[in-house]
Amino acid sequence: MGAAYGLRVLRRACDAVLTLVLTITGLLAVTFALSSLSPIDPAIRLVGDHASADSYQQARRDLGLDQSWPVQFERYVGHALHGDFGVSTSTGQRVRDDLEGVFPATVELATIAMLVSAAVGLGFGLVGAWRRGGLIDALIRLLSLAGNSVPIFWLGLLSLYLFYAHLHWAAGPGRLDDAFEYSIDRVTGFVLIDTWRSGVPGAFSNAIAHLALPVLVLTANTIGNIARMTRAALLGEIAQEYVIVARAKGAGEARVMLAHILPNAAGTVLTVFGLSYARLLEGAVLTETVFAWPGIGRYLTTALFAADTPAILGATLVIGVCFVVLNRCTDLLIRAVDPRIL
Amino acid sequence: MAAEVPGTLVVAQSLDDVVSLDPAEGFELSSVQAFTSLYQRLVQSDPDRPGALRATLASDWKSGADGHSLVFTLRPGAVFSSGNALRPEDVVFSLQRAVRLNRSPAFILNELGWTAGNVDRFLVRIDDLHVGIRWPARVGSAFVLNVLSATVASIVDEQEVARHLVAGDAGNGWLHTHSAGSGPFRIRRYIPHEALVMDANPQAPLGAPLLKTVVIKNVADAASRRLLVEVGDADIARDLGPDQIAALRGKPDLQVLEYPSASLHYLLFNTANRANPVLGNPALWQAARWLIDYQGIAEQLLKRQYIVHQAFLAQGFPGALDTTPYHLDVAKARAILANAGIAPGTVIKLDVFNQPPFNEIAQSLQATFSQAGIRLQILPAVASEVYGKTRARTEEAVWLYWIPDYYDAHSTASAFAMNREDGTQSIAWRAGWHIPELSALTAAAVEEQDPAARAHLYEEIQTQVQRDSPFVIALQERAQLVMRNHVHGYRQGLTADMVYYDRVTR
Repeated sequence: MGAAYGLRVLRRACDAVLTLVLTITGLLAVTFALSSLSPIDPAIRLVGDHASADSYQQARRDLGLDQSWPVQFERYVGHALHGDFGVSTSTGQRVRDDLEGVFPATVELATIAMLVSAAVGLGFGLVGAWRRGGLIDALIRLLSLAGNSVPIFWLGLLSLYLFYAHLHWAAGPGRLDDAFEYSIDRVTGFVLIDTWRSGVPGAFSNAIAHLALPVLVLTANTIGNIARMTRAALLGEIAQEYVIVARAKGAGEARVMLAHILPNAAGTVLTVFGLSYARLLEGAVLTETVFAWPGIGRYLTTALFAADTPAILGATLVIGVCFVVLNRCTDLLIRAVDPRIL
Repeated sequence: MAAEVPGTLVVAQSLDDVVSLDPAEGFELSSVQAFTSLYQRLVQSDPDRPGALRATLASDWKSGADGHSLVFTLRPGAVFSSGNALRPEDVVFSLQRAVRLNRSPAFILNELGWTAGNVDRFLVRIDDLHVGIRWPARVGSAFVLNVLSATVASIVDEQEVARHLVAGDAGNGWLHTHSAGSGPFRIRRYIPHEALVMDANPQAPLGAPLLKTVVIKNVADAASRRLLVEVGDADIARDLGPDQIAALRGKPDLQVLEYPSASLHYLLFNTANRANPVLGNPALWQAARWLIDYQGIAEQLLKRQYIVHQAFLAQGFPGALDTTPYHLDVAKARAILANAGIAPGTVIKLDVFNQPPFNEIAQSLQATFSQAGIRLQILPAVASEVYGKTRARTEEAVWLYWIPDYYDAHSTASAFAMNREDGTQSIAWRAGWHIPELSALTAAAVEEQDPAARAHLYEEIQTQVQRDSPFVIALQERAQLVMRNHVHGYRQGLTADMVYYDRVTR
């Protein structure tokens, strides 16, 4: 029994590592091919159109574009294996340093948005399923649909216009006011932690004020998805025999919902959580653009427009690893809460 | 509204274009805008007298009798922001470094005949206060002084850079994000895609700035920039769209400032593209001049962010031709096309950048050209793809913009009116326009020492290009920015480097 269990755990671990390696390799190959096929000429982007033919050729050599694709790819992967993603042509910095700056910004925003979305979305889903067909359910469905359908760019600008420019309830674009932004050391890259550690009066609350609107916009979008999927998962269970038995045994509606139906729908709900969080970690390009939030989404988009291959590959790799790791973690969580899944 | 930081000016603009803040490498709009605050040249444009040069790190200069040399006297007591004194060695180092690094703006110094292999021979320290320069190219000293006023000729503190050398990179890696100059400001912190924070340099040779700090924030979205300046969290917002400018015009705390910019928009027919023979027909070039709704595009479509200008030297440059002989006249264009036997239904592919205002302009062209029977097929693409085509001369027609690289007529004249046929990819070469006589005239203009005679030559060259070239120069940009009323002393000139924060107060 013990040996068989150990073998199963080992096989799962090997599977996980293999999946990660295959995913990353595939991701790198596809991203590299796409950026190589892109009509954007990175050398022109770098030296500009007025540069001499000599400078242009030098830029091509410096970028390794005079080498064949396989050589370029092999060189890149070789460096990446040693943790060196190269130098970004659009920032002039090492990609690793850039990512150390932008990724925490995205993780912070995504994590807070996810926690709020999970709590509110789950609540909406539960209430919607519990009061299915009623007025509250209709209202929640409408809100969820609206949150999921409204263009995020528009919602971001509207919220800035209303809460920042007119009502002055929230802080504007950026992670901190200028009074704090360039005087507080970025030790961890997480603005909440860095402002807390700094002890500068008002800095921490200012960070929260700046987080409020982008979190609101991101959650509006994510809550809709979580609420709809949670409601559907709960309703899928509601007619099962074990629910009828529970009710027949006299369990109250709240107990039926929370103690019987929810644990059985937990797999679906956790999957939605995992996917939503992964999507947020990709970087919400539009939200980051509107709120001048220096996250990985904007970094990757800027790199794409500049055909900045090292930055594109580095950022893609980070996002890819996040996806795989989150999926694995979700799988493990589902197994932990649902003994039917081996 | 956020708490204000006393003595700090906040500018909201896009910084996404910045590749490097090393003056020997940076050649993007935002980097060049910053260089005048961070570095100084031997001579620079005078902010108060556009067109005139002002002694900056040099206090004086003298032309050599051979017409190919200059001796500069360095400003006594001038120091860099590090505290190091300015030495002739810094001048020699900076100019040699820029040529040897051979990054995008190096071609400006190459105009003097300096190359990585020969530049050592032409720069010499004479004594503690004098430095001599010579050049092999057939160009006059007036032109050389203008070239030396370009940001690529910024003087860098050699001793400071020496402390940050990495594997023979001439300090390029460090200067990407740090400064080692003598300008009114120095970099406190530069975070790519996020912000450039500059602190005052109290030792600046031409006087300390009036502000303590300038924060240039990267706010990529124009609507967000508008809100920041409207609320008061930014003092200046750049690059706003016509609608955003219109919304802010007339607000009590704000003012909209307009500055002529040297950026020109033009249509180019590629006569080197033999696949479509009509492109080489001068009648098409002539008809096209009457098929652009200049006024409509400038006034209505682009809401006065551009003015009509039809010569290759932008208004404000010495010798700029301000005649605008062409307007939309479809009947005249039709007659020209009919006389030349260019049949209605002729199709021409038009490459444009896939971004405003290029898309809007292309649609206007498509509408007016179709009235004369010319079908423009618009091919929108990213800028580097369009440039790639023009470099390979595979496009048919293209709508582009042009910004002079330095404040001298030759920068633009050598592009539009010179085809050396030696591989130099001037705009005339890209259009496949063979012009030996005009090229010779342009070469003569750059050698001319007398300013009046030089300006006269450029007027003549512009007239020819305006009348007979495969280019239709149509618009000149009018840069607009929105500034809070409490900000005073801001100055801006024609070219990107003429952005001055040193006299600003708030």
